[in-house]
Amino acid sequence: MSRAVVGFLQVVVLVAGAPILAGLVRKVRARLEGRAGPPIAQPWRDLRKLLGKERIVPEHTSWVFAVAPLVVMCSVGLVAAIVPFASTRTPFGSAGDLFAVVYLLLLGTVFLALGGLDPGTAFGGMGASREMTLAALAEPTVLLAVFALSVPAGSSNLSAIVAATLAHPARVATLQSVLALAAFAVVTLAECGRLPVDNPSTHLELTMIHEAMVLEYAGPDLALVELASAMRLAVFAGLLANLFFPWGIATTTSPLEVVLGMAALAGKVACLGVALAVFEVFVAKLRLFRVPELLAASFVLAFLAVTASFFLT
Amino acid sequence: MPIVVVVAVPLLAAAVSGLAGWRPWVGWVGVAAAGGVTAGGVWIAVRVLDGGPVSGLEGLLRADALSAFWLVVIGVVAVLATWFGVGYIAAELADGHTTASGARVYSSLVQLFLAAMVLAVIANNLGVMWVAVEATTIATAFLVGHRRTKASLEASWKYVVVGSVGVGLAFLGTVLVYFASSHAAGGGHATLNWTGLVAAAPRLDRHVMRLAAGLLVLGFGTKVGLAPMHTWLPDAHSQAPAPVSALMSGVLLSVAFYALLRYKVIVDAALGRGFMKGLLVAVGLLSLGVAASLLIAQRDYKRLLAYSSIEHMGLLAVGAAAGSPLAIAAVLLHVAGHGLGKTVLFLGSGEILRTEGTTQIAGVRGLLARRPVIGATFGLGLLALLGLPPFSLFASEVGIARAGFAGGLGWAVTVALVLALVVFAAVVVHGQQMLLGEASATGERHPTSMATAAPLVAGLVLCTALGVTVWPIDRLLHAAAAVAAGAR
Amino acid sequence: MTETAYAQLLDLGAGLVLVCAFVVVWRRGLVAIVRALAVQGFALAAVAVVLGVHQHALEPVVVAALVVAVKGVAVPRVLLRVVRSGGEARESDPLINIPTSLVGAAVLTLVAYATTRGVVAVSPSPATRAIPIGLAVVLIGFFVLASRRKAITQVVGFLLIDNGIALVAFLATAGLPLVVELGAALDLLLAVLVLQVLAARMRTKFGGLDLDQLQELRD
Repeated sequence: MSRAVVGFLQVVVLVAGAPILAGLVRKVRARLEGRAGPPIAQPWRDLRKLLGKERIVPEHTSWVFAVAPLVVMCSVGLVAAIVPFASTRTPFGSAGDLFAVVYLLLLGTVFLALGGLDPGTAFGGMGASREMTLAALAEPTVLLAVFALSVPAGSSNLSAIVAATLAHPARVATLQSVLALAAFAVVTLAECGRLPVDNPSTHLELTMIHEAMVLEYAGPDLALVELASAMRLAVFAGLLANLFFPWGIATTTSPLEVVLGMAALAGKVACLGVALAVFEVFVAKLRLFRVPELLAASFVLAFLAVTASFFLT
Repeated sequence: MPIVVVVAVPLLAAAVSGLAGWRPWVGWVGVAAAGGVTAGGVWIAVRVLDGGPVSGLEGLLRADALSAFWLVVIGVVAVLATWFGVGYIAAELADGHTTASGARVYSSLVQLFLAAMVLAVIANNLGVMWVAVEATTIATAFLVGHRRTKASLEASWKYVVVGSVGVGLAFLGTVLVYFASSHAAGGGHATLNWTGLVAAAPRLDRHVMRLAAGLLVLGFGTKVGLAPMHTWLPDAHSQAPAPVSALMSGVLLSVAFYALLRYKVIVDAALGRGFMKGLLVAVGLLSLGVAASLLIAQRDYKRLLAYSSIEHMGLLAVGAAAGSPLAIAAVLLHVAGHGLGKTVLFLGSGEILRTEGTTQIAGVRGLLARRPVIGATFGLGLLALLGLPPFSLFASEVGIARAGFAGGLGWAVTVALVLALVVFAAVVVHGQQMLLGEASATGERHPTSMATAAPLVAGLVLCTALGVTVWPIDRLLHAAAAVAAGAR
Repeated sequence: MTETAYAQLLDLGAGLVLVCAFVVVWRRGLVAIVRALAVQGFALAAVAVVLGVHQHALEPVVVAALVVAVKGVAVPRVLLRVVRSGGEARESDPLINIPTSLVGAAVLTLVAYATTRGVVAVSPSPATRAIPIGLAVVLIGFFVLASRRKAITQVVGFLLIDNGIALVAFLATAGLPLVVELGAALDLLLAVLVLQVLAARMRTKFGGLDLDQLQELRD
């Protein structure tokens, strides 16, 4: 199987599986709260419903509003293709670099924020400004956390990092790995708009961050944005799973191994989804001015991870 | 007789005070314990001068000439302070400033304080010495807050926090020295014994020793009251009851300085004389500067005495920086003289506070006219502290200056003398405000009792005697100076 | 214990000590801060145990038990008593806002690494390579001491300094003589007890533990 096919397969599985992941998280959370909850495939039904609706574009918006959902979807789709999810043999081999991935994710964030600003509404502006504040603190943390892992591996290529961790399994338990894991976990919550940073099911404008930015989108645009945000969660969870617990990933492009790698990833991501749901049940949303403290703490953790990786080995 | 007896005596007295509560005879037990410490110090001095250093408790304790000298100083000052304390506590109880349980706590803590100081100077293991120095902080914490006023609570809080942080830094320095000794070039044997460290000093790693020396000067310097870690001193020494202030200013500061001297021998052997010299000159001059600048506008006479202690500790640091045996001998004489003089002053200030009711300089007028005995002793004490003959501080300050010039510290000594001159002027101005002037017609005449005045007079007499001739302690002084200057 | 497992466990223990110090800087609630100190005490004990097992010596394990008893249990309990008996808000009042404090603490960690390079170079080993972590905790303790308004956080800063020094002591020397360790532990316990009594008295006299009220003694 060629690398391009592997990449394509990763994108397809992620596009199909991301709404299932979101549905799983919702279901587990509902069950823990004593409710029955919507079925796991409900997000797909919602997407289908949205695709059938009329596309409404506010007046006085520019091309940014129309293009933003596409950019967000394409950027996260590209990340899904080049990051080692099913196999360490990804397409555009050396392009699966840490910095490229972070840049692509940031591109999506920025365009979503711009799309929120474009209609000129109060909610959109508020959501965009809040989102950029958080992104300014969260993106360096992602960089530093993965950088801490790249120091012992000797390369910032994600596939190389995963392969190095496979070759030296004991590295998972070192101080820098543990600190980087903690930092990355906190940043995942921030980037994907989950508790305690942002409540994905809120309808109160006082607490909205992500929801405020996408308030003006309707129909297929909204479907794209929702799918992209679900994929974002899946991508981050997959990164966390494969960077820190890479066992199960394929190291070649043989079909059987790739399918097994995909299954392993699905299993790990499902576990992480359940853990996230359990965590969200027990934690409350932080007040907005406390979120920079949380993100600063995770930044410092990532910084300590980098320091440890330089000085303690 | 083993030397551990010298520590056991005050501990026993503390137990007696704690169990028996406050009675008049309990106070005299305390004085007897202090006398026992003095006698022990003299006896150890005789043994050391004849037969070399004495060890005890399987090498944990070791008394050489330096320890013996400090034991004698501690003992004499403690005798004066506890002697005065008997009458002081009785007066406090009568005036209602304290309760019987407060007096019991006071007397046991003073004895524990004494025991900790004695342990610090006869410890061979530098870790044990550190433990003893920290124990003095704990023992004096409640003594400083004895009066339970807002100000004394604030003072004791600051004292404990700053003091413990400083002593913590000193612990880090101790740990680093231990680390260096275990990795000494050419085979390291980890030890905290002073003798072992001095022997292994030339082989200790320089980077580690430099870091350790800095931490130790900062850490023990906090307990000595050297700037910039002096902030607790004016508060603590001015709020504590008079005998406690006397003990703290008179000997506790110098016991911490003793710790610095012990480490100086090791650091000088490891790094050469320059490093410690620079550090000590820097903190010494800084202390003198702080004291001089804050003495000018001082309004509280107890704080004035506290800042004067900072000044004298600065002088000690500069003298120790000079490093030669003559310089150290002058420093040791200064320790003795300052101990005596400061004790007399603080005890006198306690008496003044009791009768005048205020610690403000502006609130005390015409002391010499109204209360001649107290006024005279206080005034003579101030003269002693300013370094005027015939008191011993004159000889010791001259000695430090001469040794400084001889040791290449001419500029530092000049700056120190200029600052001391500023201090001189400030103290004279404040002193004459308090002492001179007419007795007002409505001023009460409190005759000072013999019992109260006796310790003060005794202290002054000793200070004068030391100033006139060093003969009684001459051999001890020079032997101790030889130890501290690094000559084996 | 294999060499790599020993190095990893040591690093994890020392790292947990440092993370606890950062948690003290990060959290606002006094109860959370005291709990972080308790966890730090346990982490310290873990480091001592790892060192003892590696050297096949009993002394570090005894010291670890002492550390758990004093720093992990006794001292936090005393502090919690002070916090809970207070009627005032249980928040530490930082003079510098928290994200800046966190960044400052990270900078202090770097400073600690720079200062102790010479010490590590004397004898590089997994234990000595973690010494800078101890010094970083000391510096963070100073920072907390200087930048908080509540009296309890001053005590917390002092305890951080003490924990950092203890970590350096364990790593640098594989244990000081038992006599010194005992004395140091006793001193610490007594110091905290003294501070507790002083805090109680201060609360009665001043009506609170806000250090800004300690303004009487000044020149």
